[in-house]
Formats: sequence, structure tokens, C-alpha cells
Amino acid sequence: MSLSTHNLSVGYHDKAIVKQVDLTIPEGKIIALLGPNGCGKSTLLKAMARILSPMEGQVHWQGKNLHSIASKKLAQQLALLPQTQPIPEGIKVKDLVAYGRSPYTGFWGRINKDDQVIIDKMMEETGITELADQLVSELSGGQRQRVWLAMTLAQDTPYLLLDEPTTYMDLSHQVELMHLLRKLNLQGKTIITVLHDINQAARYCDHLIVMKQGEIITQGSPESVLTQKLLKKVFSLNAQIHQDPIAKTPMCVVE
Amino acid sequence: MISIRLPFIGQCLALLLLLLICSWISLFSWSVITITPMDALHALYQMNAESIAQHIVHDLRLPRVLIGIMVGANLAAAGVIMQGLTQNPLASPSVLGINAGAALGMATVSSIAPWFGLLGTSVAAIIGGGIAWAFVMLLGSAWRGGNEHGRLVLAGVAISALCAALTKAVIIIAEDQAAGVLTWLAGSLTDARWQTFDSFWPVCVIGLLGAMLIAPTLNLLQLGDDNARNLGVSLMWVKLGGSFLVLLLVGSAISSVGAIGFVGLLVPHMARMLAGQDHRKFLPIAMMLGACLVVLSDTISRAIIYPAETPAGAILALIGAPFFIYLVRKRTL
Amino acid sequence: MATRSLPILLLALLGLLVANLMFGAVSIPFKSILEGFQVGNANYFTVHEYRFPRTILAMLVGAMMALAGALVQGVIRNPLASPDVLGVSHGAGLAAVFYMTFFPDADIRWLPAVALIGSLIAALMLWWLCGQHSSTIKLAITGVALAALYASCIDFLMLVKPLEINNALLWLTGSLWGRGWNQLSMLLPWLLLIPFALWLAKPLNLIHLGDDSAISLGIKANKLRLASLAIAVGLTASCVAICGPIGFLGLVAPHLTRKLVGGRHQILLPSTMLVGAILLLLADLVARTIDPPIELPAGIMTAIIGAPYFLWLLLRTK
Repeated sequence: MSLSTHNLSVGYHDKAIVKQVDLTIPEGKIIALLGPNGCGKSTLLKAMARILSPMEGQVHWQGKNLHSIASKKLAQQLALLPQTQPIPEGIKVKDLVAYGRSPYTGFWGRINKDDQVIIDKMMEETGITELADQLVSELSGGQRQRVWLAMTLAQDTPYLLLDEPTTYMDLSHQVELMHLLRKLNLQGKTIITVLHDINQAARYCDHLIVMKQGEIITQGSPESVLTQKLLKKVFSLNAQIHQDPIAKTPMCVVE
Repeated sequence: MISIRLPFIGQCLALLLLLLICSWISLFSWSVITITPMDALHALYQMNAESIAQHIVHDLRLPRVLIGIMVGANLAAAGVIMQGLTQNPLASPSVLGINAGAALGMATVSSIAPWFGLLGTSVAAIIGGGIAWAFVMLLGSAWRGGNEHGRLVLAGVAISALCAALTKAVIIIAEDQAAGVLTWLAGSLTDARWQTFDSFWPVCVIGLLGAMLIAPTLNLLQLGDDNARNLGVSLMWVKLGGSFLVLLLVGSAISSVGAIGFVGLLVPHMARMLAGQDHRKFLPIAMMLGACLVVLSDTISRAIIYPAETPAGAILALIGAPFFIYLVRKRTL
Repeated sequence: MATRSLPILLLALLGLLVANLMFGAVSIPFKSILEGFQVGNANYFTVHEYRFPRTILAMLVGAMMALAGALVQGVIRNPLASPDVLGVSHGAGLAAVFYMTFFPDADIRWLPAVALIGSLIAALMLWWLCGQHSSTIKLAITGVALAALYASCIDFLMLVKPLEINNALLWLTGSLWGRGWNQLSMLLPWLLLIPFALWLAKPLNLIHLGDDSAISLGIKANKLRLASLAIAVGLTASCVAICGPIGFLGLVAPHLTRKLVGGRHQILLPSTMLVGAILLLLADLVARTIDPPIELPAGIMTAIIGAPYFLWLLLRTK
């Protein structure tokens, strides 16, 4: 019941991309937002992270309007990993990750011992400990993505919003990331992520939300959501649903 | 846009008439000693040796108007060629640093080696402008062609700033005082005499003729480098020849009257509005428009704080800078 | 990096302070400088009335202009941005010259406030012409074009109402000529802006990560942008009101500092003030001693250092 949208419309330049969406995020799960390009899944995610202001309707956090909560306080509850990040100049990896602690630090941004423990832990979990003293601008795309992920994790929030976190990562790191998300989920975090890969979503997520043209078509467990009819309707794909031989989750194979 | 589109010959005649009227007004207006409009005409045809007014017209005003005409035509032609060569709507002698480079060359030579005289300073202006131009083209990645418009302009602006600073330093140190700088830097026609005219006109005529000769090739460059090469244009020679013409035109103009800015930016666009995109047509139009503009702003420069004078270059900058902003805003860079 | 650079910068600053007191039209030996502060000493006028306030002024103006540049670069995420490239300095200069030309009897102490109005108008003008989402290069060109416009207006005003030539050069290129205790006391109240600027160090780090991340980390991106631009405009205006539009300082100093101490604003902002002070002290020292007793405007020296640096930045900008 913590994060919910009520009759929410958002978009850019007076043009609504997400249209009148009512959605309650189930707590304690890994949730995937799926849909074709331009369906509004990133826009919805940004609205839930208060990056975009609603044109109509509201986003509620624990029953209160998201935009009425003090920004710093909310930053201790919700963290977003945006889809694209600028490449900051002259910033070391460890500094960047430490920026994730800023909702907790004072005005000068001093890092205390507890903060340092969390920073070190997150760098280890994302496998960037040995990059600590390098400049962010010198890293490869995949490494940089993991550094940004570590920063978002260092924010240490019960809710994590990720916009296509697997971009730029090679397959092994993608798998590692999904395992890491599960691990965080078991520690009690709710994770909402936009994903491109339907099979990845079906395999690693508990709850799928499928969008098309700014509206939510259906949501639920992978088994209940992934049907031949839905794939045809939303993605215009002719595909069959099979069971993944290892994870026993549904899996779509394009005809 | 002009509402009535005259045929090309009509436009030429109309502009010529305009130029004559501007020149005539400039001959007699705003003088400390009263000059009648008729005096101005008499001084041209049947000089009355006794009349002071006619002497002023003949000895001071006439060379000034003639030099104004040539400077305007030169700078406008240089602007057209530069915009044609770089395919960049903002290219012009003042924006791309040639003015400042030429001024630096002149200042250096006239303060270190003043015995070179007028010829020496002209050559120094051409060399200085050439070095600045080469730097701007190199640093602005102009050799890559295509979409680097903004970079070229910024490189030009930075080179201009550097040259202007050095010029000021040279002048202040050489003259043992700072007073000369301002009049030196803003171009002015105040000191234009027959002597200047005599050394200026041959270069001017050569430069303008050369510009007319290169005009058809500039048309082909509009199609892009690859297409132009396809049509048999030798890019390197056109660019080298064009650059040389620009330096000749700008260098001679600057060594005569100082760094008058923005004519080369402003006029080609006005000419294009009148005559369309064909360089063979809008180049002569641009020359006449440039001449009109300079003569006109010289007249205004005498009127503003009459009887003292403001440099014509300052007036042109006041008109030109907003136009520059307008162009930046209009074009997608 | 920072721990090694800071002592060196401090030493350089001290050295330049002393050098600025020692050298000029007449050189004063080091020992005599301290004596020069006593009333009645032979060097009292040179040291206490002339060189000392000017040196302090150069240090403060350099620091403030560099800080303004760092603030602007911090929020506009544009390596070519700085108050002078964006035309804010020349806007302030134009307002000051306008005020002095048309109200020659008015109180000179209002000059910083007038310059502030001018630079605010210049900033709004740029905003109106470019909007929020302009490319790096377009923003810089529009700023440069506006600066050219203001400069030609200054030029014009001064040709219409001629000033004393050193004064005129001051308003055209920026110079510390003839600046003393009066101007120093005019500048002092504006030093209050510096703590506010330092207060912004932490959020400036975060806005460096992009608006989305910054908001997600609890920063009000638009408010921060407005606050730091306002402080930058204030700093610039007060400096320009006193020394004229000294070019390229606000652009170069933050870049050099980023190379030395990295991009964390908690260190960057104080260090960039040091670097700015060093640069302007150096520029003024060279300008005064290159051919004494003639003085070059310090703005000429900063342009000679700054323009090539700008070109180099331009080459690197993608």
C-alpha cells in the first residue's frame, strides 16, 4: 500500500504519455514494467520517482501526495536509477558512490563510518571495489552502469526504481544484476524495474505490469500474464509460451 | 523579404541609384562649413578654385566617399566568398577573426617597423589576417566540412579575442600611452584621403574581379563538397584561391580604414533576400549594398555627435551585432 | 590530489601577494614593504595607498570571478559556460558605463547595484534567446554574440562621451588601473555571497549527475540552478562594477582547478577561488611590470592566457 498512483496522467510538453493510470505497487516484490517502445513505462517510473510532475491525478507514498513530502526525506525512501546518465568529469568512482549517501549527510556532505560501511558493501556487491580510485569518465559503458547502480543502492531505500538497468551490460553481468536484485528483495526491498527482455522479466520478477499506449493492459504473476493472446495484442508478436526447463517459469519463443 | 521582385537588371539599377544618392548626400551633409548640395556637384564637374566648400568636397569628402564605397564592396564580397567556402551562414571577416588578425599584423608592423609605410602595413594586414584565418579553419575543424558550424564560429571568436588583446598590448606599449587604441581599433573613414585612395583602388579592382570570377564555382560548392568534386571542381584550388581573394579584399580594406566589422556578415544575407541563391547575381548586389551601407553609416557617424565624429565601425557594430544574434537564433546550429 | 595541490597553491598566492607589493614602476625591496605600512615612511604612499589595496582587490576579484564561473559551469553542465562567455560580464559593464555616462553626478557607490541590474538583464536575455535545452555550442555562440553587442554599445557610449583613456580601457577590457581603498570598500559587502556559494557545494555535486539522479537524491534541481546562477550573477556584477569585464578568468580558473583537485565541489569551490586569485594577481603583475611605467589592462593579459585555453576546450568539446 506504500506506492500508488491515482488517475495519473503525465507527459512532456502538454502531451500526456501515461493516461489516467490507477496502480498500486505490491510491496516486497520485484516488479517489472513491460511494453513496446514509447508505451510510457519509463515515464510512469519517472512520475513515481517525482522526476515528472503529474498533469492530472496524484502519486501517493504512504497515503500522502508524493510532491508534498520533503525532498530529502523522500530520497531516503525512494531511489531511482535513470536510463541515461551524464559522464561527470573529474569524479572518482568512490566519490560517485558516496554521493548516494547525500540524503543522510549534512550540508557539507561529510561521510561518517556507517555511511562508509554501506558504500563499501554496495561497491562489493556490484563488483566495482577494484575500480574505486578510477575516474568515472575513464570507465566502459558496462562498468559505468554498475557504478551508477552502486550509487543508487548506497541510497539504501526500501523502494528501488530502475530504468532499464541492464543496458550496456554483458550477459554475465546482467544475470549477476538480477541475482543481486533478488538478494536485495529478500532483505525486504521492493524493486520496480523497466525491462526490455520479456523472458528476463518472466524469469526473475514476481509481478509483471504490461503497458501499451500509456495504459496498463494487465498485471499479475508471470504465469498469469504471459499468454499468446497478450503477446499478440501488446507486442504484435506471434509467439508460443513454453516452460523454462531450468527455472520452470514461462518463456516466450517467437514463431 | 521584399514584396516586389524586380528583375535582376532593375535591382542593379535601383541599387546604383541608391548608392549615388547616398554618396551625394554624404558629400555635402554635416559639415562645419556650410556646403550646399550644388557645391557638391560643382566640385565634381567644374571646380571653383576659390570656394572653400568645393575644396572640402574635392579634397576631403570625395576620396572619403570613394574609399567608403570600395571598402563596403570589398568587405561584402569577402563575406560572400567566406560564406560560400565554409557553407556557414555566420562566416564573415569579423566573426572568423580575419579582421582582428589583420589589425594585429598592422599594429605590429607599424609599431616595430614604421619605415615600411603603407605598403608594408597592407602586406602585414594580409599576412596577419591569413594566419588568423588558417588558425580558425584548423581549430574550427573546418576541413572536415559539414556540421561543425558553431565550432568554427567559436574558434573565430576566440582567435579574435586573442588578436584584439595582443593588438591592444602592442599599441599601448609602442605608443607609450593608451590614447591611440580606441580610434585605432574601431574602423573610421576620418583619415581617408586621395593618397589612401591611390594605393587602394588597384587592389580593390583586382579583388572584386577575382570575386566575380569565382562566383560560378561558389554555386557548385553549395551542393556539398562531394557533389562539387563530382562536377569537376578542384576543391583545394578553389579554397586556396578563395581564401587568397578574401585576404586581399579584407587586408586592403583594413589597412585603409581599420577594422570595420559586420558588413561581411550582414550584407550577403540581405543580398540573398533580394537576388536569391545564385552567386553570379547576388555577389554584385552584395557589393553595391555593402557600399551603400558603409557610405550611409559614415554619414551617420558624422551626424551623431556633430561636429565631432564617431567611427563608422562603431555604428556598423551596433547594427551588426543584433543581426548576428538573430542569425544564431534562426539557424539550427 | 587535493592535499598536494592546496599547499602549493597557497604558497603561490603568498608569493604573488608579496611580488605585487614589491614590483611596479619602482621596485621596493622586501624589507621596506613592512615599513611602508607606517605613516610617514618614504614608501607609505606607494605601498599602503596604492599597491596594497590594489593587490587585495586583485585577489578578491580573481577569487569571486572564478567562483562565479565554477557555479555557472556546475549547474549548466557546459564546459564552455562562464559569466564572461555568456555575456553577463559585458552586460554588467554596459549598465555601469551607461550609468556613468548619463548620470555623471550620481553616487559612484551605486555602481555595483547598477551593474547587478545590467547583468541580470543580460542573463534573462540569454535565457529568453536560448531557452532551457540549447546545445553547448549554441549557448556559447549566443552568449558571445550578446557580449559582442554589449561591447559595441560600451564602445559607442564611450566614443560619444569620451572618458579618460585608462578608464575607457577599464570598461572595455577590464583592468585594475587606479583602483584603491574606495573600490575595495565597495566590494566588501558582496563577499557575503561567498559563504552562500560554498553552502551549495554538496547539491552541486549531485546536479553534476544529471537532473533525474539529483532529484532522486533529494535535490530540488530547479531551485538549486536558480540559486547558484543568482549568486554567480551577483558575484560577477560586483566585480565588473569595480574592475570592468575581465575576460576568460571565470572560464579558465574552474577548468584548471578541476584538473588539479578533481570535481568534488567541496574542494573545487575553495580551490578555484585560490586559482582565480593567483591568475589575476599574476596578470596584473605582468601587466604592470612588462613595460613600466606604462600599464597594460589586466584584462588583456587574461585574454592572452584565456583565449588559447578556450580554443583548447573547444577542440575537446564533442
